[in-house]
Amino acid sequence: MKLRSVHALLTSASLALVLGAAPALANKPCIGASLPITGPTAWAADSIRMGAEVAIAEINAKGGVLGQRLSFVAYDDAGQPPRGVDNARRIAESDGCIAMFGGWHSGVALAVVEPVHDARIPYIAVISAGTRITENDRKPNYMFRVSMFDRWQALALVRKSKEVTKTGNIGVLYEDTGWGQGAVPDLKASASAESAKIVGFEVFKWDDRDMTAQLIRLRDAKVDTIILYSRDLEANQILRSMQRINYSARIVSAWGNTGTLGELAGPLANGMIVLQTFTWAGDLRPQQKRVLDSIMSRYKLKSPDDIKHGSGAANAYDAVYILAEAIRTAGAYDRTRVRDALYKVTHEGIVQRYAPAFTPERHNAILPENYVWTAWHNGRILPIAQTPYGK
Amino acid sequence: MKPNRFTAGVALPAVVFAVVLVAIPELVSNSFQLRAVMLFLIYALVALGLNLLVGLVSLVSLGQAGLYALGAYTVAILATQTGAGFVLAMMGAIAVTAAAGVALSYPTVRVRGVYLAVVTIAFGLIVQNVAIDWRTLTGGTLGISNVPRIDLGTGPLSTTGLYGLIAAITFVGFVLHHNLMHSRIGRAMRAVAQSETASRALGIDPTRQRVLAFVLSSVFAGIAGGLYAYLNRYVNPDTFSFSDSIRFLLMVILGGSGTTFGPLIGAGILTWIPNLLQAFGKWQLFVYGALLASVIFFLPKGIAGSARDLWLRWRVGRNQSVRQADAWPKPSPGVDALLGVRATVRGPVLQTRDLTIRFGGLSAVSGVTVDIERATVHAIIGPNGAGKTTLLNALSGFYAPTEGRVTLLQDEVGGRSSVQIARGGLTRTFQNTELFPEMTVEENVRVAFHARSRCGFLSTVLRLPAFHAEERLQRERAALLLDYVGLAAYRDETAANLAFGHQRRLEIARALALSPEILLLDEPAAGLTHAEIDELIALIRDLKRLGVTVVLVEHHVDMIMSVSDHVTVLDYGEVIASGAPSAVREDPRVIEAYFGAGTVPTGAHA
Amino acid sequence: MTAFVQYTLSGLVIGGLYAIVALGFYIMWSAVRAVNFAHGDTLMLGSVLAIALMWAGVPLLVGIPLAIAASAGFGLLIERIAVRPLNHGPSSVGWMLSTIAIGLMLEAFVTITFGADPRSLPSPLMGAPISIAGAGIFPHELLVPVAAVALLALLDWFYRATMLGRAMRAIAQKPVAAGLMGIDVRRMALISFAAASALGAFAGILAAPIIQVSATMGLLLGLKGFLVAIIAGMSNARGIVITGFAYGVLERFIEGFGNTSLREVLGFGVMILLLLMFPNGLFGQREVNKV
Repeated sequence: MKLRSVHALLTSASLALVLGAAPALANKPCIGASLPITGPTAWAADSIRMGAEVAIAEINAKGGVLGQRLSFVAYDDAGQPPRGVDNARRIAESDGCIAMFGGWHSGVALAVVEPVHDARIPYIAVISAGTRITENDRKPNYMFRVSMFDRWQALALVRKSKEVTKTGNIGVLYEDTGWGQGAVPDLKASASAESAKIVGFEVFKWDDRDMTAQLIRLRDAKVDTIILYSRDLEANQILRSMQRINYSARIVSAWGNTGTLGELAGPLANGMIVLQTFTWAGDLRPQQKRVLDSIMSRYKLKSPDDIKHGSGAANAYDAVYILAEAIRTAGAYDRTRVRDALYKVTHEGIVQRYAPAFTPERHNAILPENYVWTAWHNGRILPIAQTPYGK
Repeated sequence: MKPNRFTAGVALPAVVFAVVLVAIPELVSNSFQLRAVMLFLIYALVALGLNLLVGLVSLVSLGQAGLYALGAYTVAILATQTGAGFVLAMMGAIAVTAAAGVALSYPTVRVRGVYLAVVTIAFGLIVQNVAIDWRTLTGGTLGISNVPRIDLGTGPLSTTGLYGLIAAITFVGFVLHHNLMHSRIGRAMRAVAQSETASRALGIDPTRQRVLAFVLSSVFAGIAGGLYAYLNRYVNPDTFSFSDSIRFLLMVILGGSGTTFGPLIGAGILTWIPNLLQAFGKWQLFVYGALLASVIFFLPKGIAGSARDLWLRWRVGRNQSVRQADAWPKPSPGVDALLGVRATVRGPVLQTRDLTIRFGGLSAVSGVTVDIERATVHAIIGPNGAGKTTLLNALSGFYAPTEGRVTLLQDEVGGRSSVQIARGGLTRTFQNTELFPEMTVEENVRVAFHARSRCGFLSTVLRLPAFHAEERLQRERAALLLDYVGLAAYRDETAANLAFGHQRRLEIARALALSPEILLLDEPAAGLTHAEIDELIALIRDLKRLGVTVVLVEHHVDMIMSVSDHVTVLDYGEVIASGAPSAVREDPRVIEAYFGAGTVPTGAHA
Repeated sequence: MTAFVQYTLSGLVIGGLYAIVALGFYIMWSAVRAVNFAHGDTLMLGSVLAIALMWAGVPLLVGIPLAIAASAGFGLLIERIAVRPLNHGPSSVGWMLSTIAIGLMLEAFVTITFGADPRSLPSPLMGAPISIAGAGIFPHELLVPVAAVALLALLDWFYRATMLGRAMRAIAQKPVAAGLMGIDVRRMALISFAAASALGAFAGILAAPIIQVSATMGLLLGLKGFLVAIIAGMSNARGIVITGFAYGVLERFIEGFGNTSLREVLGFGVMILLLLMFPNGLFGQREVNKV
């Protein structure tokens, strides 16, 4: 009996997949997401889920949006663009979700620009920082971001480097991925705008074990401040390589390495400063503290450091609220109207106050003045003011 | 009855496939599903091409994603930077991938198996890394966005239009793939994979077959890549990783390599599975691995391959009539017409002058001069290690002479390849019977017609009338030859399943299918029973009647004495006696060589 | 000059890793003319187990041998269920795919249970680098090339001086004849896979303090180790170690005088060229094709 019903379920499920469910005219109260659930960046997906699911639970506890409970549907893209595209179409057309979130890989986010505009579904990037994701020449543009925006990040990093450098020679060390390569033009533009001198661009690949060659070149160019785009794994290798060749330089880093670098490098990472949109380690406002407690109890975490991409969780949390507000403003589960309503949302989030969240010229909700500087100190990443590097 | 109707009788399934393709836009309700079907069709095209390589010539490529990437990038670059239209951009993709295919196939002349797999892995990784870092051309890791929609002159193609185009191209690819597989070209490719030596003796150039297979599989992958660029309108390097190459290979193996439908089935499953597995969340990669492992364990020949085996077994079980080989040779007017040799040149048909073959410092054959006359039976005998087989290998082009000359039909052939010599009218059998073990008895014979086929590549894959005429002719001739050697009842049996004596017969029938003027038999009597040897003697006499010159390397003295017109005795690579059997038999040097001294060789085995 | 020494030293470290991984492929290939294509994952398995035991409070001196033993068991399993049933001669690819599938399962399992982020296995020798002719290197890193050479010597001794080793060599050269002589070919295959996996786990644990531990740490090392074994020619252990070192140093020098992208393009390009010039590998023996 049981077996038969399971069988029937499977059959109908596969039939539904092949033949298609009801046509997706009225959009449903779900938020889709294409995330790297499997593979080496799975921890980024975890962080996004934490923020998004807690926000959705809170909203549903208060009766949902327009009388309907929101749900979160996450699909795995494993960092592969074709799977991201499949997921976007599935979310938009089979599931009929009202909007979708995107994950870590800028390559996947760039690939979904096409299906997102095909299906006219608002897309909100909650980690991916790549400039071209929102600046894509589409009109109307359905790509939004509640996250770091690389163009602004580049400017902040360049300004900071100019501030800390003594020789005036700044070097750039970036990973050979969509994110890293995409940052190069922004850095060049920022440097010329700020008349800062970037004397070397060095590149490395994921899983590279030894960056001495790149660092020797930077050292020979008299670089004393390095702008870094990397993950934890490679950041640790870079620190080790610097130690090998007895080279010390200040590292001003973009936010790829806020996870296990402390465990990997320990005190070696001391003084590396990292730009983020949010940190759970600081003195939290009551609202922020409440969210942190919910996340920690819901996912049984021992410390805020277990949120491997803290900013991603916070961004996702705010993004859900902004979206919910937009649905209320639109007054219907209708993607086009929700997209237009995103320009009208005002919201007091945990990352910043959004007033309004977006404008037609600005699809990036988090403003650069609200980015926070954090620094690695003795194995933890803390707001820079709580470390000796804050002066 | 056709040998493997299950796969060869494709007409109905092809129609079904076509009907499904036509019906799909009506069946699916949204572009997510239609897109998934398009992606399946594109992957299927890659898998079909790869099947030509894996299933026919048994070469494993783990770099197919590199070729797929070349196609996609060529189209994306041509379309965005030069504004090339669909046809032009696709032509570009075909040209680039065909060239890459030629380059990639070059190593197969020298390396094979796991070594070739490594070459292809390296190729795939090079392509991906060039795509990452030639930023001005490829856009680096950010890739190329905004590939224009296809415009065939009637405005940008709609999603359904794009589907129609992709479906049509994949369908054509499917039909070509099937036609090629079940044609003389497909047979020649399989022959090369199953016994390179035997194919060369039949005048089939293994290198050519491998290059052809490689180029075709590259072009399939290139076209698929081009279609992918148009479908997604965005290409970047993450799409073409090593794991994608593995996935393409898995599609072929999972579906069943060497089968018509295998690649379609494999591509279908591996395109759909990730969508279905989403339900497993974090565990989906694990479940995917488990699924693959169980398919490989339980269906090692893939889905279509295992299904075919089941079907064949069922069929064999059904007509379990007792089959018997007929007595042979069984001359008939048809065989006489097929094998009868008309003298074209006068004098000896095969001559050597001071032929020497050295390996390192060791002379296996030294200073051998023989004349072999037309329509005679010329035996070459000698103790073990006397150089008989080496001489045979030199005559048939498997070894190049170190010194001296070989003249075939008054044509200097020393140094020519076995393939050329086989095409020139000389073929051979092998000491340890070299059949194409996984092909049927009839296919084994038909492979030998390849070298003399007139029907070109295009008429073959397009199945023009010339193709059908030739197929019919070859089938008739194969039937004649099988009848001649008494194996007609075994026509559809797999060669490896034949009894030993029957394998010998089949090898001879296959050699005769070349209508050779000269046939070299390397120890044809070894391991045969007395009755079988008598039949062999009858065959050799009959061939002589038809004007075929037979060169015989044998140990079996009785047989030699009864069929030979001329005997050449080798010892330590040199000719110690040559002449009529009766004269050679009395030669003291021969007696010395065989027995040290004393008795005359009269026993059944010397 | 300092840079020159630095690249050479760094190259010997990474090259030593390639060499040890490649030796694992060599052991398996010698026994059964097939390999565990997911051999890189045994590196990961060994070091993940070592860390997990460390977290559970087992001292490393106990935990590491346990982890290596468990990985050897994994090797037995691979041979028995994934390779033996699917290895039918030179053109069969079943074992390639089955071992890849099991590797995928293992990686997925570790990602879920252990986590996807990189973790560290501490080593007292990773504290401060020492200087050699102006170039810096961690003492622990020096262990890698030393271990590669030592393992080679050990393997050499084993194949020459022990009964088991001789039996294995006999199988590698003439499997059929060895079987006729009463050598248990199947048992040797099992032992070889266990030994290769133990070696892989050892390599993983040795490398862990240098390259960190994550579910995917073995992928690239496994692939490059395999390529190195092939270029060297699967039948020569010394050649494999030399090629491993050479390839590691080559990579570093390309990086030093070019860049990382060039490293892959040139490195793999050189591989293809070498295979074209030496179809049986640099140090491989020609397999004579007899008609």
